[in-house]
Amino acid sequence: MADLLSSMLREFGVGKILLAENGEDAKDLIRYNASGGSDTKPMDIVLTDWLMPQMNGVELLKWIRSSEKDNIRFLPVVLVSAYTSEEVVSVARDNGANEAIVKPVSGKMLADRILHIVNHPRPFIKAPGFFGPDRRRSEREFEGEEKRQSTEQDVKIYNEQL
Amino acid sequence: MSNSKGKIEVYNRVNRLKLKAGLSHTDPNAKLRIDPSTVNKADSIIEKKAEAYPTEVKRVLTALHQNWVKAQSGDRKSVPEIMEKIYHNANQIKDLASTFNYPLMQHFGVSLRDFVEKIDMNKGAHRTIVDAHIDVMWVALNENVHDEGDERAQKLKSLVQKAINKYS
Repeated sequence: MADLLSSMLREFGVGKILLAENGEDAKDLIRYNASGGSDTKPMDIVLTDWLMPQMNGVELLKWIRSSEKDNIRFLPVVLVSAYTSEEVVSVARDNGANEAIVKPVSGKMLADRILHIVNHPRPFIKAPGFFGPDRRRSEREFEGEEKRQSTEQDVKIYNEQL
Repeated sequence: MSNSKGKIEVYNRVNRLKLKAGLSHTDPNAKLRIDPSTVNKADSIIEKKAEAYPTEVKRVLTALHQNWVKAQSGDRKSVPEIMEKIYHNANQIKDLASTFNYPLMQHFGVSLRDFVEKIDMNKGAHRTIVDAHIDVMWVALNENVHDEGDERAQKLKSLVQKAINKYS
């Protein structure tokens, strides 16, 4: 599956693709590439399968989001899974994934998710029990049960500068 | 970076992916696009790789079968680790089958994966159910039984179902 996805990504013009056999290997690869060594480059995006040996995709996602290093914890993550879309979207969202893809993967589906991450980035939110891209995708005022209860004094905004 | 109780922190990050694509990271109208023809090419990769489906499934099913033999003959301590490998082998077969549109093999992959999750290796009946899955998966592969609907597929599914009904 990783081989298939990487071939599709190459077709989209993605240059360097690193493959990991399992979650632990993925952790090592991410850590190494975020280390700032002369032969390393920070990763741009992580695509992870949900079911993997040793450490599954959700555990990997949690590890990424709990990292103290900015070039790890803010990494865009796409969770790929064969489970039903509603379950995947909900678990992926609540653990800080940027996007979720339900297998079988098509070229259009993969392209759409990547384009969404690039063209519609969401701010990262740190709240009690959550760190990840804003779970509200729209700018519209939300009036449901999960409406954010914070006042302005509760919110601190960090704008990254180049 | 501390987050006191109840506080919300919002991080607006520089869009490095846009920068990398040579676009302005501050202009919301600057959009990355992927040429539809490359999307079609990506889809054609799936078609090309479909030719390798029997070889790939054979490789994974062989590994699964070998792991199953080990699980029954090896020492008890290593059984959970081997069963996890079998779980992932079955899941991999399911992935391959769903990607390349082999619904029958997909059905057996899911069924075996889910059964392995709750297997009691002390029960001979449970082991029989795994044997039944492996047998029908080999038949489906070797006889190229593709869909779930045809007569052979129905027979294979009923073999496994009978084993599950009788032994689980």
